[in-house]
Amino acid sequence: MTLLAPLFLQLALLGIGVTIALHFIVTRQPPSSVLPTTRFVPRDTVQVTTVSRPNDLLLLLLRVLIMLLIGLAFARPVLVADRTPVARIVLADASFAVKDIAEVRDSVRKLLRPQDVFIAFDTAAHTLPISALDTLTATHAPGHLSAALVRALREAAELRARADSIEIVLVSPLRASAVDGATLAIRELWPGPVRIVDVSARTDSAITRGVQIRGAADDDGIRLAFNYTGADAGTRLVRGQLSADDTAWAARGGTLVHWPVATAPQGFAPRSTTDTVGGVLAGDAALVYPLERLWTAKDSAHVAARWIDGEPAALERTVGSGCIREVAVSVPDRGDVVLRPSFARFAQALTAPCTALMTGPPASEETRAAIGGDGPLAHRDIILPPDDIATPLVPWLLATALLLALLELRMRRSHAIARAHELKTQQESAA
Amino acid sequence: MPLSQYAAALDAVRGIGWPALRRVRTTPVGPHASIVRGSTAEFLEYRAYRQGDDPAKIDWKLVARTDRVYVRVSQERTILPTMLVADASASMAFPQTTHAKWKIASQLAIGLAAIARHRGDPVGLAVAHADGSTIIEPRTRSTVLEEMMRALDVTPGGTNSVADVMADALHLGARVVLLTDFLDDDDTGLLAHAKAAVAAGREVYAIHIVDGLELDPDAKQLLVSDPELPDVRRPMPPNARTVYKRRFAEWRDKLARDWRRAGTVYELVVPQAEPFRRTIRRITSAGEKGGASR
Repeated sequence: MTLLAPLFLQLALLGIGVTIALHFIVTRQPPSSVLPTTRFVPRDTVQVTTVSRPNDLLLLLLRVLIMLLIGLAFARPVLVADRTPVARIVLADASFAVKDIAEVRDSVRKLLRPQDVFIAFDTAAHTLPISALDTLTATHAPGHLSAALVRALREAAELRARADSIEIVLVSPLRASAVDGATLAIRELWPGPVRIVDVSARTDSAITRGVQIRGAADDDGIRLAFNYTGADAGTRLVRGQLSADDTAWAARGGTLVHWPVATAPQGFAPRSTTDTVGGVLAGDAALVYPLERLWTAKDSAHVAARWIDGEPAALERTVGSGCIREVAVSVPDRGDVVLRPSFARFAQALTAPCTALMTGPPASEETRAAIGGDGPLAHRDIILPPDDIATPLVPWLLATALLLALLELRMRRSHAIARAHELKTQQESAA
Repeated sequence: MPLSQYAAALDAVRGIGWPALRRVRTTPVGPHASIVRGSTAEFLEYRAYRQGDDPAKIDWKLVARTDRVYVRVSQERTILPTMLVADASASMAFPQTTHAKWKIASQLAIGLAAIARHRGDPVGLAVAHADGSTIIEPRTRSTVLEEMMRALDVTPGGTNSVADVMADALHLGARVVLLTDFLDDDDTGLLAHAKAAVAAGREVYAIHIVDGLELDPDAKQLLVSDPELPDVRRPMPPNARTVYKRRFAEWRDKLARDWRRAGTVYELVVPQAEPFRRTIRRITSAGEKGGASR
């Protein structure tokens, strides 16, 4: 057992010493005796100090225990297990980018030992028991390495008490999409190397070849935005109501764009007062035109397009292996906006394959090198301890101290009652 | 104190007399020599006839023998109303466990009252306690002792003015017995009343009751307090005890001297220091020494 704040225990021991001393050394006025002829005693002031045997040893014992327990609780004791030479933190990529999750499971299984830590991640990272490895499944969410690294740093801070050196192993196809602007900065916080174990990545098979348009009138201007509108296109754009077939098609991995003409898309509600907005933005495509805004978003989902004032103009929901994109932008039936190239770019951005379906290219060599790093394994001494170390003993110590304090209070009251009773008996016998 | 506890005191005073210190001025017939010369059977002397004497008192046989006119003078006997004044202040409830001072004061009061009443004197009682006083006027009836016992059945406490009660008692009795520890703040007033009473021809007995623990306090007592003034606390280490004992003795000597000089009978009584009968005899014998002739 080690103490995180031993000063408190030292203070408690000091307090115990003072308490014991106070129990033994009694400075008080002696009990007064009645003497009718007190007037003949010379006037004087005397303070009597006596060193007496304490007659309340049980009370003293309780007080000592209470102070000791409180001091120990504030000193935050931590039980430390035996250290292993090397502990491993395995980061398993369970995102959409993984082609075969079984390959990940096999790789992780080879690496994991009982004392190691297992973290699975996609957009979020979770520490799992090793037994959960067998049930690990791939998700439809993209992988975020930053989240995994942050989790690994926290686990390393906890693990430093149980290991001399710590190694981080990343089991992932490591696509470029998994690396964001913060990833390398987070990586620099880890003083050792990160071993990268490659697994196969899913290939982006759902490459759009065009848009199939359903429910649009023949003179719907939106048709002009797309060159190819064959039935085998990778993206389906529905201008009317969605059917069960549309949803099933999306769940099979398609990109379904629901862009109704007059009704509110799912996740949107009619605005109390319609207004006109000067433009809308989808990815890098911007359409600058006075567009009428009829609906407002009521659900929270991935925003695929925004009005220029920041309000969502299109939402994207993941359905099965695909997604449904609800577009709340009314297409003007007058004017030449649909003939403009900017409208075509905007429409193509809205009909691009779903974000979750894009694994993107592999990370560059520079990125891999930066993430992998080099040098010896990180020693426990150079790993920062955690800000908040779990101290499970503390509540028990405090609870026991509270219990003893209640007992001490009860005992003191019992003593006081007994003393009062004794005094009353003396007075009655005197009367 | 239960009435039965007076049985021993009453038994102890059996056969003890308590003559007056001097001739008594009262006229009712009683056991004490009166200042009045009368014509009772108790012959005292012959005195030459003076104008105005009752001719019936002339001893004609003596006239025949001596040819001079003499009248017979006899000793009149009268009563001596006796008042007992008991101080029931807090200082009399000492020691706290036994109240020995109050007990001896009560027993002395009943004992002296029994002696006086047995000789035909009316007896009364005045108890000075915290709530004022309880006064039983001098009477000779058979139940007066029981009334006195009930009046004495109090627990001493608080403070009182014994001097005021003493003044009332002096109006009621020709002989007043004061049973107190003289720790009342107004002891000079008490002495002044006594002096005035003695000057008026009354008999005053000052019975000073002091407990043994007051004479020689327990050495374990390191801090003492006055029961009538609880705020007055004084430490009493060994050197202070010596000073205390000296001061207390000086005070007692001065008190005895003052009261005796005032013409009163002063007696110091320490509970348990001597048999009760001896204490009673010590008090009542003051009249025998110089008593009736004074």
